[in-house]
Amino acid sequence: MAASEGCSVWDTPRVYKHHEQQKACHTRPKYREGRRPKAVKVYTINLESRFLLVQGVPAIGVMTELVQLFALYGVIEEYRVLDEYPAEQFTEVYLMKFQKLTSARAAKRNTDEKSFYGGILHVCYAPEYETVEDIRKKLQDRRSYMNRACIKSETESEKEPTRSKKPAESSAPALASTPWEDGNRAQTETSNPNTYSGFPLLPLPPEEEAPQQCLSSWGFKSHSLQTNAPTEDKMGSLHRFISASPELSKQTTNWPNSASADKEERDRSKISRNPPSTAPRFIPRTARLENRKRKMMDNTDFLGMLDKNAPFFGPKLPEQQKMDMEDNSLNTTASLIRQTMAKVSSIPTEMKTSSNTTTTTKPRRRI
Amino acid sequence: MFNRWCSTGMNRFCASDRLEYLQGLVTEFQDTDSEEAKEQILANLANFAYDPRSMEALRMLQVTELFLDMLTEENENFVEFGIGGLCNLSMDRECRDQILQSGGIPLVTGCLSSHRDETVLSAITTLMNLTTAASRSQTTDSAVVQSMLRFSLTQNPRLSNLATVFLQDYCTQDQVDKARELLQGHSQSAVGIPLPKD
Repeated sequence: MAASEGCSVWDTPRVYKHHEQQKACHTRPKYREGRRPKAVKVYTINLESRFLLVQGVPAIGVMTELVQLFALYGVIEEYRVLDEYPAEQFTEVYLMKFQKLTSARAAKRNTDEKSFYGGILHVCYAPEYETVEDIRKKLQDRRSYMNRACIKSETESEKEPTRSKKPAESSAPALASTPWEDGNRAQTETSNPNTYSGFPLLPLPPEEEAPQQCLSSWGFKSHSLQTNAPTEDKMGSLHRFISASPELSKQTTNWPNSASADKEERDRSKISRNPPSTAPRFIPRTARLENRKRKMMDNTDFLGMLDKNAPFFGPKLPEQQKMDMEDNSLNTTASLIRQTMAKVSSIPTEMKTSSNTTTTTKPRRRI
Repeated sequence: MFNRWCSTGMNRFCASDRLEYLQGLVTEFQDTDSEEAKEQILANLANFAYDPRSMEALRMLQVTELFLDMLTEENENFVEFGIGGLCNLSMDRECRDQILQSGGIPLVTGCLSSHRDETVLSAITTLMNLTTAASRSQTTDSAVVQSMLRFSLTQNPRLSNLATVFLQDYCTQDQVDKARELLQGHSQSAVGIPLPKD
């Protein structure tokens, strides 16, 4: 069933046996039946190739379309019509040379027996076009792939019970002891010592840190304040880290501890409507200085709690006549409006620069 | 990174199913009397051996022994599928050691005399895979090197190229020179020469 007779080692057939389409097997029991009808055939690395033979292409000048179709699956290094190859009437046979074996495999899988401009393509591997060097590389690639896959599964099976271990620890014993280890490892390692170096084991994602960092920026903030050391963000980058500024620590020191700080901070922010201007994002130093200056003014002026030590910038305007609105809330609002107007008119240049650089962190007033 | 852990987790889940399925295949192979069913199952198992994920299950089920048994069968399809399976399996180190421990080299060398080029090609690649520091003397036996020399001179490009790789990468220049002398001196070994068909 698998092979027609007459294909001997010693003769040189133009049309090789593996080019022939074998009859699909329909006598398999249900549980062995695949999704597609398939012939009884064994694929080995010898049969696979980055060369594909495409038969049954209608001879109507659709080479460009054919190449476009096959290029979907990977880089095609070369292609040509095989004029010398016996073809059915009004069809052409093409040879495609892919850059990678995996591309050729995908292309064959997806185009074989598919309709193409009114013809049914028959796509098969054409390993007879490989050079000695091609074969050598193909076998080496396959071997290293198998070794990588093998190591991966070994470390997998080892890591399962010792999930909490650090990867640096678990990688070494993973190679040394496996359930079906029978002492051959030492011999194989000495015979080919560089086999295991090709697959760098990456460390596990930091599991302990994850829950805290996955919280909102509030959680992150309290965490980073607590440690005061560079902390990775969710993507494992230090890019967004800013060390806790002295001003910030001043703000937070009077809170009991950072565990309850979250809640308290949120509550306080609700009352004061002070937006979280300390969200962890990179701010240039100059912008931060300006920001700080502005914030100090904000804090001191806010709700009329004037800090006597707060520095003033620009000429001091004559005190406006205070109007009593006969309501505490209304008075607060009025004074807020007054302060804002005063600030806008007094320091226009400074505001402009700071708003240019830190638009996102600029506190929004609710008036 | 995350993807890799995820995907391997999936594979591990599949592994138990796979073992069960392969177990079923092996059982049916042993129980059935139908040549056709045997061929189908053998081809099935040999193709599973191409996938590194099934290696562990195939090792546990002693499929290497099953394939080695097939090499001495009368049915040429059995031989072709068996050596194809060994060619796929022997890429894996553990399986290679299993084949070596079972004394598979002479059986594989026997396949070099097949009429079928797929069988011969699989046998050459299997011999390459089976070559270790310890087994080198056996896999590059004088008779084998001679037959590789003959293969390298055939008109079949796949066969001659693969034999050339074997000679260049697995044999020393001394071995090749010696084999060439023996070939010219007409004291050839019969390894790799198919028997005439009746």
